[in-house]
Amino acid sequence: MLSRRNELLIGLAVMVFAAVVLWWLIPAYVALPRRTPINALAPSFWPKIICWLMLVCGAALTIRAAITACPPDAIVVKFAVSIAETLRLAGLIVILAATFFALPVFGMVWTSMVAFILLVLMSGGKNIGWGIVVGVLLPLLLYLFFTKVAGVAIPQGHFVRLP
Amino acid sequence: MTFIESLSAGFFLVAQWQSLMFLALGILIGVIAGAIPGMSATMAVALTLPFTFALQPILGILLLLGVYKGGIFGGSIPAILIKTPGTPASSATVLDGYPLAEQGRAGEALSMALYTSCIADFISNLSLIIFAAWLASFALNFGPPEMFTLIFFSLTIIAGVSGDSLAKGFVAATLGLLLATIGLDFIGGTERFTFGSVDMRGGLNFIAVLIGLFALPEIISYIRSSKEKDLQVRNIGYSKLSWADFKRCLKSIFRGSAIGVVLGAIPGIGAAPSAFLSYSEARRASPNRDNFGKGELEGVAAAEAGNNGVAGATLIPLLSLGIPGDVITAVIIGAFMVHDLTPGPLLFQNHADIVYALFIGLMASSVLLLIIGSVAIRAFRYIVDVPSNLLFPGVLILCIFGVYAINNSIFDVAVMLVMGLVGYVMLLLRFPAAPFLIAFILGPILENSFRQSMLMSRGSLDIFVRGPITILFWCMTIAAVVVIVRSTVRGARLKRQLGKSVKEKSD
Repeated sequence: MLSRRNELLIGLAVMVFAAVVLWWLIPAYVALPRRTPINALAPSFWPKIICWLMLVCGAALTIRAAITACPPDAIVVKFAVSIAETLRLAGLIVILAATFFALPVFGMVWTSMVAFILLVLMSGGKNIGWGIVVGVLLPLLLYLFFTKVAGVAIPQGHFVRLP
Repeated sequence: MTFIESLSAGFFLVAQWQSLMFLALGILIGVIAGAIPGMSATMAVALTLPFTFALQPILGILLLLGVYKGGIFGGSIPAILIKTPGTPASSATVLDGYPLAEQGRAGEALSMALYTSCIADFISNLSLIIFAAWLASFALNFGPPEMFTLIFFSLTIIAGVSGDSLAKGFVAATLGLLLATIGLDFIGGTERFTFGSVDMRGGLNFIAVLIGLFALPEIISYIRSSKEKDLQVRNIGYSKLSWADFKRCLKSIFRGSAIGVVLGAIPGIGAAPSAFLSYSEARRASPNRDNFGKGELEGVAAAEAGNNGVAGATLIPLLSLGIPGDVITAVIIGAFMVHDLTPGPLLFQNHADIVYALFIGLMASSVLLLIIGSVAIRAFRYIVDVPSNLLFPGVLILCIFGVYAINNSIFDVAVMLVMGLVGYVMLLLRFPAAPFLIAFILGPILENSFRQSMLMSRGSLDIFVRGPITILFWCMTIAAVVVIVRSTVRGARLKRQLGKSVKEKSD
């Protein structure tokens, strides 16, 4: 169970999200045909129903959090994140984003090798020897399977190409 | 095709060495993945899915079903030996399994878990064979309004039982439904939420969404804390399960299997509640009830019968109605879709040979599980030794290659990474992922049946109460909401009381 404040914020965030989709994203990003015979057949009708439902659920979450008594501390889950944890999470996001952008440039195999070894280093650096061995072999084996067995063209990148 | 023709065609599909090999391989992968704490059966099935693209449909689906069956049993091994359930479904097995291991009777507990799993699995498969075809023939009469009410009912249950709040479950389901609207509108062909991107016109790939949602949050959680668990593995010892002990547990095994079959056939409930219900029923009915929780073989049998009894039954709504009963069957639906097979009543008409081949393969899987499971029990010490800091990066690399291979698309990899972050935030905020994914899969069918119904009725909502079937589903939906709200309120009250008493004790 989360704290009352967090539950209240979650309820409000859900309502804001639903409202943004309902009154901004749907009018701006759902293209409508010139005429629809029935209102329910318009492409925006179904997303609107979903958003109204989400708005109601968000309101239910908010009201429930507002009117119920605070849960005892013993059962409240706290969002305490230490500095080390924050740094690790930020590092992971950087690695994931860099991996994505490096895939077409350096190729999936080489990028995966680097990402694997970086993640092993990030998680304490234990078994580093095995980390390098597995980090090199696993992408190569996956490359072999997907190109030779499954016939998938794995991105090779612009620099070193595999057979 | 007559029944006999379909059956014999199905038999010939299974009676080739490749089918049995892939089934056995799937069970082996599932048992290993289930036995590794931190890996779940769902994650194992999701990661295996991309490897089935190159296979014939029947081989790919048998491989995934093997992983599913093996994963559910595999979870019981660490539950007994290290007090850590490998999968959530094995949580009830810990209650008596670990105390037995502490008493040096791990061998008995593991043998009981294995035999019970095979029996419950067999019974569940039998129920699938009996009920799926019957339900499918009944569902052939469903029109769009009946389909709409059925899916609405299923989503309500899934949203209600997956997390600790019905409202959060509904929010997760609406998010999934909203995500499913991305792409071209299937009636008018106009763009919805594509933001001008060509990649988004086809909608988001569901395999990328599910792998992101179920595999990446585990990796993020691990990297955040980055702790290797100090796992104390109990010795298996030399104790053997006696026939007398097995015989006295038979009643609980059959009862648990029946509970598993009933709960498994209802979309959304899944293996963990079934295992706990079976366990509590066994404790209530057993003459040894005082021994439950202290190391009672009947407790292990009941829990395992409950969680394995669901395995075949969850395929009943999937195969006959096209509705995934839980997250794992939602992943398995992906294997059908990849091979241009659409689960549902028409599958029984158009691909009866594949359906019967699956049935025969599933029966064979119970026997294979017995053989592979008994080897896995002995090899567990090596399985648990896989270091997490090699396992999770490996999972990430598998995810990247697997997701890319679906459509040869880097965009799908981006979808997976973003969904991984969304899944992690949902995990932190206590939003259940199951209604999100299942709503995402069923969203297009739900919208389609809604719009078809409205077209049929020229915009009148009366069509949704046009006959006994739609009215029955509405009544069941209302009853489900009432039951879920009542149990949620009761659960919250109990938690508060527990929290207060803990606080009073600490004061």
